Amino acid sequence: MRQLLLPMMLTSSLLAEFDVKGFVALDSQVYLTHPAQKHGQNFTLQQQLEMTYSEGDFEVVSLLNAQLDSYDFFGNEENKRTFIRLDELYGKYNLENDMVTLGRNVYFWGALEVRNIVDGFNPEDLRNDPFETDKMGVMNAQYSHYTESGEFSVIVKFEERDQKMADFPYVYYFFPLFVHYEDTLQSESSRYRPTLYVSYSGSTDTEYAVDYALILQHGYDSQRYYRADDPLVGTPVNFQQHAYLVNKVSTYNTMVVADTLLKVEALYADVIDDPNISDYLHLGLGVEHTLTQLVGEADLGLIAEYYYYDTFESAKYTDLELFEIFQNDLFIGGRYSFNDSDSSSIIGGAVLDLDYNEQSYYVEYETRMADVLKVHFDYRYIEPSKDALTAFHLLGRHQRVGLNLVYYF
Amino acid sequence: MYKIVIPILVAANLFAISNLEVAQKGDAVMSGYEDSVSEMQMILINASGQKRVRDMKIKVLERDGGDKSLMEFLSPSDVKGTKFLSYEHANKDDDQWLYLPALKRVKRIASRNKSGSFMGSEFSYEDLTAFNIDKYDYKGEAKEMVVEGKKMYQTVRIPNSKNSGYTKQVALVDSQTFLTMKVDYYDRKKELLKSAMFSDYKQLSGIWRIGTITMINHQNDKKTTLIWKNETIKNGLKERDFHKRVLKK
Repeated sequence: MRQLLLPMMLTSSLLAEFDVKGFVALDSQVYLTHPAQKHGQNFTLQQQLEMTYSEGDFEVVSLLNAQLDSYDFFGNEENKRTFIRLDELYGKYNLENDMVTLGRNVYFWGALEVRNIVDGFNPEDLRNDPFETDKMGVMNAQYSHYTESGEFSVIVKFEERDQKMADFPYVYYFFPLFVHYEDTLQSESSRYRPTLYVSYSGSTDTEYAVDYALILQHGYDSQRYYRADDPLVGTPVNFQQHAYLVNKVSTYNTMVVADTLLKVEALYADVIDDPNISDYLHLGLGVEHTLTQLVGEADLGLIAEYYYYDTFESAKYTDLELFEIFQNDLFIGGRYSFNDSDSSSIIGGAVLDLDYNEQSYYVEYETRMADVLKVHFDYRYIEPSKDALTAFHLLGRHQRVGLNLVYYF
Repeated sequence: MYKIVIPILVAANLFAISNLEVAQKGDAVMSGYEDSVSEMQMILINASGQKRVRDMKIKVLERDGGDKSLMEFLSPSDVKGTKFLSYEHANKDDDQWLYLPALKRVKRIASRNKSGSFMGSEFSYEDLTAFNIDKYDYKGEAKEMVVEGKKMYQTVRIPNSKNSGYTKQVALVDSQTFLTMKVDYYDRKKELLKSAMFSDYKQLSGIWRIGTITMINHQNDKKTTLIWKNETIKNGLKERDFHKRVLKK
């Protein structure tokens, strides 16, 4: 038996593949305009390690994210932005026309560039730069069946995670000093109550090709709201995050018309169990047109996107109380790709709030150095609403420059 | 006098070969591989001789209506795991998707312009798609010439897509094997833009496959070499191996 087992084990390990990749990044930001009591700059060391083990049709993936904030490490004023987070640890089995996944992982849904309103499967970590996506993995099981041109999936999510926030001196702690955020998620039902997603996505083979996706959801909503307890005189106000149940339908679609992409994201949520939150609608429309070889090999993508959010019941939380920034907003911007060997690009634009007279401008430049190092530079300016209590109003007028150096391995 | 000239002209026509026939024969010797799996190394060399190396894995499914291909980037490290899926179509724009592993996002690509640079190299997307006779117009006869002691056909083809970056391509084809040895590409201003040198051909199951292409850009003095390694054909790949699901695999 041993004589048989040993060669089998050796053969099996030879057929398996083990892959490791990741990065180490130094993220630095200087806030040229910021509230007096908050930090004027920030330095963060970030690391990511992804390991994949695959053998035939079976695969195990793990993804670890770690972050060290300089104020947490050196200073007395702790930002509480230092963590190690296991965002993915899942097994996947691919069959001929089916696939099964079990474990903690991250999904992406959406078509638009600036804000993916239907991309609500994973909560974001609120300790980080709000202008970057930083999703936390969640426990779930997925079964997918593939047709000739599409995919039918059933996903069951098993947990709702706490969204931790940085402490007050960090510039992106949006609440005032006297507000204390308690990061334990509140909900009527257990946070481990499963949320069910059923989706169908596919592509058409028509003259104007369309990629489409429809998702039906029953369970916890991705939108959260904050509620304060009754404060005692002289004590800080405690804010808690609340989750509630919905029936929700979401869709995201892309149509190709020559050099132009037309995009739609939309969702409607029917709130089941919460007296504070109204049924709501969120819509995003986008168009992206590419001008190729504008200067030499460089391409310019012109992008315009419009976002609309509305609630249906009065005397409940409004977009302002929900801190929904993209409620009646227009984005106009562009992406200039140099198409050089360093994959250099400039992305920039303006988000204009049509209700509250708010503007956010940004420009980002990215290039590769020596094949293993990437440099990312960004500049942002936010002119908040003067009278409406928007998220940007709480942040105050804001101006920053950022430099991000990433070493990939 | 007429009695002598007419037979000479008739004989010359009997041995002449048209540009279209050369293209058809060249296509025939490279076709029939059904599918291909290979590793590709791309070496970018700038005008001062500095080199950058990119590695990819490529799968291709040969189809009458247009090939399907999947390209996975292995290096540089920041794009490792990025995948590019393409369905070619003879009568409409190709379908293209890009998978970005850092975001776990599949993005639809809209650009119908195939003349743009591929990964900052001297190859365009148009240069990398499989040769398809129907994408060109051919007129007249091929010119016979001897290059480095070998008899070659010089053929001219005109891209029929208005989105092509070229107004003319002039190819040198080996008269014995009908394998392409060199192609000169003329830009939209009808000036010589690039030359591709084809070498290291090998036969797999009786079908000729290319080993190395070096593209020299005459206008910026940059150069890119593509080297195919460990290629296997007739692997039994199916349509489902090019389903969008493979982007996230």
